Amino acid sequence: MLINQLSVFIENKKGHLSKITKVLKDAQVDIRAISVFDSAEFGILRIVVDKPELGAEALKKAGHVVKQSYVLAVDPSDKVGSLHDVFTLLSDHDVNIEYVYSFVMPNNQGSPLIILKADDQEKAIALLTASDFSLIPKEAVYNVLND
Amino acid sequence: MKIWSDKEKMSREELRKLQFKRLKKTLNHVYENVPYYHEKFKTAGVKPVDIRSLEDLRHLPLTTKEDLRKNYPFSLFAVPKNKIVRYHASSGTTGKPTVVGYTKNDMKVWREVIARIVTMGGVTSEDTAQITFGFGLFTGAFGLQQGLEKVGAGVIPISSGNTQKQIMIMQDFQSTVLIGTPSYALHLAEAAQEMGIDPKEELFLKYGLFGGEGSTEEMRAKLNEAWGIVSTENYGMSELIGPGVSGECQAFRGMHINEDHFIAEIIDPDTLEVLPEGSVGELVITPITKEGIPLIRYRTKDITQLDTTPCDCGRTSARMAKITGRTDDMLIIGGVNVFPSQIEGVLLGIKGIGSNYQIRVLKKGYLDRIEIDVEVINQDLLVSVTLLDQLYKEIESKLHTILGIHAGIHLVEPKSLVRSEGKAKRVIDLRSENL
Repeated sequence: MLINQLSVFIENKKGHLSKITKVLKDAQVDIRAISVFDSAEFGILRIVVDKPELGAEALKKAGHVVKQSYVLAVDPSDKVGSLHDVFTLLSDHDVNIEYVYSFVMPNNQGSPLIILKADDQEKAIALLTASDFSLIPKEAVYNVLND
Repeated sequence: MKIWSDKEKMSREELRKLQFKRLKKTLNHVYENVPYYHEKFKTAGVKPVDIRSLEDLRHLPLTTKEDLRKNYPFSLFAVPKNKIVRYHASSGTTGKPTVVGYTKNDMKVWREVIARIVTMGGVTSEDTAQITFGFGLFTGAFGLQQGLEKVGAGVIPISSGNTQKQIMIMQDFQSTVLIGTPSYALHLAEAAQEMGIDPKEELFLKYGLFGGEGSTEEMRAKLNEAWGIVSTENYGMSELIGPGVSGECQAFRGMHINEDHFIAEIIDPDTLEVLPEGSVGELVITPITKEGIPLIRYRTKDITQLDTTPCDCGRTSARMAKITGRTDDMLIIGGVNVFPSQIEGVLLGIKGIGSNYQIRVLKKGYLDRIEIDVEVINQDLLVSVTLLDQLYKEIESKLHTILGIHAGIHLVEPKSLVRSEGKAKRVIDLRSENL
């Protein structure tokens, strides 16, 4: 259930995002989800790609600092309050969300999904699996275009 | 213009006799009381008795900051610790500072040489002097304060920083003398104008005595114009005594060295040979009246030249030209000495950053500013922006502890720093040459 995410250190300067996307493009790595967490001068670019190992290797080779870590992909279903229910479920059980960002998979009728990093990932998986929310398996995220 | 002491008007011959007598006394003192010097002389195959003239001084080994580092904190002191009445320190080349100690008599000498220098700068007992150097371990502020009081001038020990308050006090206390670094003095003048105060019309300054960093004639012109003052420059360093080694008189033909207390030589920094008068080279100073920590032939690493031709002011002492450079990589940031090796020491002690860094020195207005780019190499920092922020704060606070100044820190991507011939260029000084 855990999705491999790449985190890349990035300076808040013109052209630095495209430097990274160029590396991925040249390596034929497709980006599924993307978000930047930043401060005034620097930030962390977080991406989910179809070929995480290949993407990480290409970025490292190009001189970037890359960390691979694991996140959850959740389909909260596209209705009012559903995201609130996900967050409430986790917080009621003392699971803290470190960060969250959303993305869309083309074969999901355009309904938004969320990437979620919890402090206790195992517990989060257990809670979400036991509820009505569906966790997207990593194969589905990586291989979206091949479905 | 008044000359503080008759010693400043001695004939050259008389002066040389006095210098030789005091040199001999100092050499015997260190030979007997500083084991490190005893060994150093022995290794060089000289004894104090071998020094039969001032010219023989060149046969003695040189002393560097490295010798002070090796003997940290007190091993170069030539008197027992209970004879020391004051300690000061300045930047070392690594984490540890360079420590000096003064006996009661050293303090008396210090007051005397400063009294001479402030008199050269125009100060009398009628004046009120505002000292904008920081009071602390650095010698600048305390040194000037004691000598000014000896002359009878009033001292305002306002210390450094707090620019608006500086202007308010300057106006309300009617300061007539400004003491500090030339760049801070320019910054103050600008700040006064921004506060709507005309430095020439609404303030009372007559003289500016500047030091702690080099300056140029262009800078002097700017200072004189901005404040409506007469500016002079003075020179010194803690290892020698602090300020008080030399200072400019109103003839502006170089800084008069207090030669009855300091013997000056100019050497070739590569061959270490003594150069004839008038040659440009590294200044080497031997204090000849110090008791606490008398250093023999101390390499200042400052580049200048000497002139003993008579000066219009009537003083007979040798004059040194403005410092035109350094023979090492020391930077002077707002009057504070900073060695790139100190910065490197701090950075290498912090986890998560690379051994590649770049120091940029620039001017923000008239003030020096140091910016350091460091490469982030540890992927474990990418857990959260908070971790990166903590790293940034850690670097900043450790550098402040060691350097005593605030540096702007920039975390950059690895391998983004400019490298020349495979080696990163560590220091880029962007301060313009003519300011």
